[in-house]
Amino acid sequence: MLLIFSNILLSELVLEITQGTEDPYKVAVIPFNGDSSISNTINQIVTNNLKRTGEFKVFNNKKLLSQPQKEVEIIFNDFRILDIDYLILGSISNSDKFNTSVEYQVYDIKKGSKIRTSTVFGIPNKDRQLAHYISDGIYEEITGIKGIASTKILYVIENKNFNLVIADADGKNEQVLLESSEPIISPAWSPDSKKVAYVSFETGMAKVFIQDIATGEREVVIENKFQISAPSWSPDGKFLSITMYQDGNAEIYILNLKNKNLTRLTNHYGIDTESTWSPKGSKIMFTSGRSGTPQLYEINLRRFNARPKRLTFEGNYNAKGSYLPDNQGIIFVHRENTKFQIALKYFDENFVRPLTESQMDESPSISPNGNVIVYAIKDNGMGLLSGVTLSGAKFRLPAKQGAVREPVWSGFLR
Amino acid sequence: MFFSKNKFNFIILVIFISSCSTMNVTQEQVSSGKVKTVKATSSAASEGFINYDSRAVFANATIYFEFDKSNLTSKSIQILKSAVNALDENDSISITLSGHADERGTREYNLALGQRRAETVSDYLVLNGINKSRITVKSYGEEKPAILGQDESSYAKNRRVEIN
Repeated sequence: MLLIFSNILLSELVLEITQGTEDPYKVAVIPFNGDSSISNTINQIVTNNLKRTGEFKVFNNKKLLSQPQKEVEIIFNDFRILDIDYLILGSISNSDKFNTSVEYQVYDIKKGSKIRTSTVFGIPNKDRQLAHYISDGIYEEITGIKGIASTKILYVIENKNFNLVIADADGKNEQVLLESSEPIISPAWSPDSKKVAYVSFETGMAKVFIQDIATGEREVVIENKFQISAPSWSPDGKFLSITMYQDGNAEIYILNLKNKNLTRLTNHYGIDTESTWSPKGSKIMFTSGRSGTPQLYEINLRRFNARPKRLTFEGNYNAKGSYLPDNQGIIFVHRENTKFQIALKYFDENFVRPLTESQMDESPSISPNGNVIVYAIKDNGMGLLSGVTLSGAKFRLPAKQGAVREPVWSGFLR
Repeated sequence: MFFSKNKFNFIILVIFISSCSTMNVTQEQVSSGKVKTVKATSSAASEGFINYDSRAVFANATIYFEFDKSNLTSKSIQILKSAVNALDENDSISITLSGHADERGTREYNLALGQRRAETVSDYLVLNGINKSRITVKSYGEEKPAILGQDESSYAKNRRVEIN
């Protein structure tokens, strides 16, 4: 059984923040002027989005000394006394029934001045999206880093069947892309976030498919009799690295998506799989069993006949690596004694930094701004998604039903 | 007809070889290794003149592995010897080897590991004279556990190659 979807809602995930950073920005978000139901939705989503970054503390409005509705009403000292760093005001305009627009301002309390005014536009009933755009604007203004509230996460849910799903970064607004009675693994976004690649066992063996998110159109990437898995897109979107079992063993190949030419990248009797591209596309990192245990290696694609260079030496299991978006290091699954953790290794350090500490953490994927890692955990045998920020905050996206696994973060969508 | 839909069923082949060179092969599906009596239908046997050699051979079987390993244990080799005999006796049988891994470790590495286990079994059979064209090798990695559970005894049952 196989069902393809382009836009259907399923049960949603719930957000739960388990731990935040020690010295967050303190902000007050005053409910925006205008339609009160839209205002409440936006206020709640913006608050949750800011909290989830782990870098913000959103002040309880009931404890504020004054609640200004517009700039002339602001008494900066009322906020300075409460040690608040930033104040957010806004107003909603939906007089035109085809459009909603929200104007918002960010005030720096210490300076006593406005530092940002922006307007976001949306269509009615897409208030969540508007709220995500506003969150990203506030986040970028205050931290100087692009926000990820308006990005998406792709993952697999197993309940009765296997579902390939995309959702907003807060776990809401789920859409099922594919439902199958056979396993689906290793989902991957195209660099423009318009397509997904994944491994489906629907034909009786592992095969890589590419599917257009908007239309639901899908195709198998190579028609042959071999198992094919572990797809990863090159940053320019022109190539797909894959693992193919042509000679019985897992070897990595690069597929030219335009002319379907295959170039073999590895040739070793050990397992070579889980390839991934560096941010500029000049290197490919992969997991190899050539040393006797799984370890991460990389090949420089710009050098003639380059030999794989081993990247990890700590412990006897380091696998499924990804490069940080700034190419300063890698994240991967690391085994410490019997625990599988998500770990970070900077290229200029010769040790591993564990980021998580439960028993069975896997499938780390880093947000496009490089700040947050989403990964899969097992809690009482149940598959759930968790997040950890590089600043130390942790959050969870618990499933309502079924085992959730293999989350992958999209690129920036706007 | 030789293949069982239920992977926990074994097919028992009981082969009777009679002295007068007529041979009757009877088969029967039996669950969980319980061997049923199979009646030979040789006309010679009813006359009571023959010595016959009867063997029960597992054509369907499961081979188990250590964590992150794909080498065969001595117990596995015993099972595979029986499989070689069954395949030798029955040229028409083709088999599928499905490799599996326990849930620990990454999914793609486990897919490759399952494949490696299935290839190891295939190599053993080929080395013992079975034509490679009769063998299909594939892997499900950790995606189709035989048993759900987060303990070593469950994991041990999931690190396997199913022959069917």
